[in-house]
Amino acid sequence: MAIAAPKSSASADTAFGLFWRRFRKHRLAVASLVFIGLLILMAVFAPFIAPYSPTAQPTGEDLASKYFQGPSREHWLGTDDLGRDVLSRIIYGARVSLLVGFMAAISGVLLGTILGTLAGYFSGRPFRFYLGPLNRREGGWQPPLFVAWRVASWVLFYGLLLGAAQLVWTLGGDDIRAGLGGDWSFANVLSLVASSLAWAAIAWAAVWGLRGSFRLDLDIAISRVIDFMLTIPELPLLLVLSALLRDPGASVGQWIQGVFGESTSVFIIISILVIFGWTGSARLVRGAILSLREQEFTTAAQALGASEARVMFRHLVPNTIAPIIVNVTLGVGGAIVTEAALSFLGFGIQPPVATWGNMLTNAQEYIFSAPWLALAPGFMIFLTVLAFNYLGDGLRDALDPRSRL
Amino acid sequence: MFAYTIRRLVQMIPLLFAASVVIFALLALQPGDPLDELRQNNPNLTAEQLEQLRKAYGLDQPIYVRYFKWLGRALQGDLGQSRSYGVKAAEFVFGERLPRTLLLSGLAFAVALLIAIPVGIFSAVRQYSTADYAITFMTFIGFSTPVFFLGIILLYLFTVVVPERTGLPALPTGLPSLFWSDVTTGSISFFGFIGTWASHLILPVMTLALIQMASWTRYMRASLLEVLNQDFIRTARAKGLAERKVLYKHALRNALIPIVTLVGLAVPGVLGGAIITENIFSYPGMGRTIFESLLAKDYNVAMAALAMLAVLTALFNLIADLLYAVVDPRIRYS
Repeated sequence: MAIAAPKSSASADTAFGLFWRRFRKHRLAVASLVFIGLLILMAVFAPFIAPYSPTAQPTGEDLASKYFQGPSREHWLGTDDLGRDVLSRIIYGARVSLLVGFMAAISGVLLGTILGTLAGYFSGRPFRFYLGPLNRREGGWQPPLFVAWRVASWVLFYGLLLGAAQLVWTLGGDDIRAGLGGDWSFANVLSLVASSLAWAAIAWAAVWGLRGSFRLDLDIAISRVIDFMLTIPELPLLLVLSALLRDPGASVGQWIQGVFGESTSVFIIISILVIFGWTGSARLVRGAILSLREQEFTTAAQALGASEARVMFRHLVPNTIAPIIVNVTLGVGGAIVTEAALSFLGFGIQPPVATWGNMLTNAQEYIFSAPWLALAPGFMIFLTVLAFNYLGDGLRDALDPRSRL
Repeated sequence: MFAYTIRRLVQMIPLLFAASVVIFALLALQPGDPLDELRQNNPNLTAEQLEQLRKAYGLDQPIYVRYFKWLGRALQGDLGQSRSYGVKAAEFVFGERLPRTLLLSGLAFAVALLIAIPVGIFSAVRQYSTADYAITFMTFIGFSTPVFFLGIILLYLFTVVVPERTGLPALPTGLPSLFWSDVTTGSISFFGFIGTWASHLILPVMTLALIQMASWTRYMRASLLEVLNQDFIRTARAKGLAERKVLYKHALRNALIPIVTLVGLAVPGVLGGAIITENIFSYPGMGRTIFESLLAKDYNVAMAALAMLAVLTALFNLIADLLYAVVDPRIRYS
């Protein structure tokens, strides 16, 4: 009477086997995976593959003929405006593009996942952000080491208040002094009224701060920041930010130069991509966590006495891993395009380091005389991004069969 | 609905305040100051004179003081002077540059939607057909193509390859030096005027439209498929409605709802994101203005343009939400 066990192939037993069987069906995704693998190999072994140095310029006699060479046996993809070998620059450019793409996508999604998890998990449980020195305790979620945090928050609160007072003093000071000197113009009266109101508000806040309390819902705070990030125009701000961080005169610029040396602009690009790149995954993870935390297994874990961090990162986050992986994959493609766009505009990675984006900057100028200079890097960006998009699509189909689009 | 709109408008104020603070701070912290160029062009300037200029421009004050002064003037409609063009920044950005970008991105948007929506519908109705696979493949190509690459390729094709092969004239870039006054004075006919402008606009419009088309097609297809799989569509078919009627009266109306929102959300991105396209085709709109003013350290102009983009983004987010309620009666805001 034994019932035959359902037949199963060896590969179906593990979660990975299941995933792999589904993934294999998406032919283009498999092809993309192979392409990306080859690209990574090319980037890693660039010095052995590239026929020339990416920055070597021709020397010797007859220099003019060595610039702008069309594709030939010696230079498969021709040479550029400085006589450098385009193929070698493409191969070395893959290093930068892939490094920036992977680093930016992974860090962005990591940051987004952490913030999204916190927002989702603590939604509706406000964090007691500030509690005045004379206030008796009240409910709300409090971080460990709350006493130290309380003292620190008083210092912060009254520090900010002092800053505000200084600001009011500086802004209104001149006009009020002019007014007291007998010159009561409309602007001066306005300053006096505005300053008086501001001073009253500051005085009230100083008294309130003694007994009052201030609670902050992490979910609301993080969601507001995301809304805010969506309001500011992204590409122009990327330009502004990258110019700012690169400034050798500013202390930030000096610090980055000191730490990262030659790879400064790579680091800058990665960090600004992360600053703008975490919001998408944060929203995604937040939504997932909000529904997961209501399920029985979460209650079970909490009932067994698991700490908040354990519930969040051992029980909840692993359940959101499928969309996270898809997000990373699509993010790599997105980061590569953004890096290329910034470099193309001259605000990204600076020459002589070769990247596909800054190769296009020069190519645009010579598009009429030397079109091959634009085609090679352009196609590499296009193919790489296409591959990551298809890979993301395949991963989504394999990992998360319910989702569409 | 009215109360909701008012509440959203009020909520917008702190958001825009924060955005303007961030943008101002980033611009104020930019390397070098606007006097650098003056110093280079005029080596005879003494340190004393520079100090006076610095004071005249208000550059000697701390950033937060400058910000509040800027805010005070901006609220009265004064966005300062453009240092490189010598005109009022507000006039320059809103009067001259913004209308051009509105023209360019408006056309691109219209072209993209007019093509993408029918194609998306077709693709969804014929799901898993050869045509559907072809369209899906094309959309993947479309949104994997970086806009700068597409722009360069189109530029090369229509200014070099096509003229060489066919003898047709090369498509011009930049702006035509033609104004509406040329038509009224009779130096050019109305159609000649339209034709000249169109020939200048074809390439940038095509670039922007092709890129957007891919994602709109995909959204339209996904949205319609989602609706077509629902029970009420089966009911409509079961009661014997013509397939045309099921599709256009029952399915499409519901499928367009998310598209409306997405269009609203995409508008500001298109306005700001035209930076690359406008640069490639030397089209002096908002994007190029931002780019040039950053390079020239013309921060009054950059600030005006960026702040306007932030305002537009916030406004279009609101419009998208409101439209959502208009097209979908199930949604009520209170």
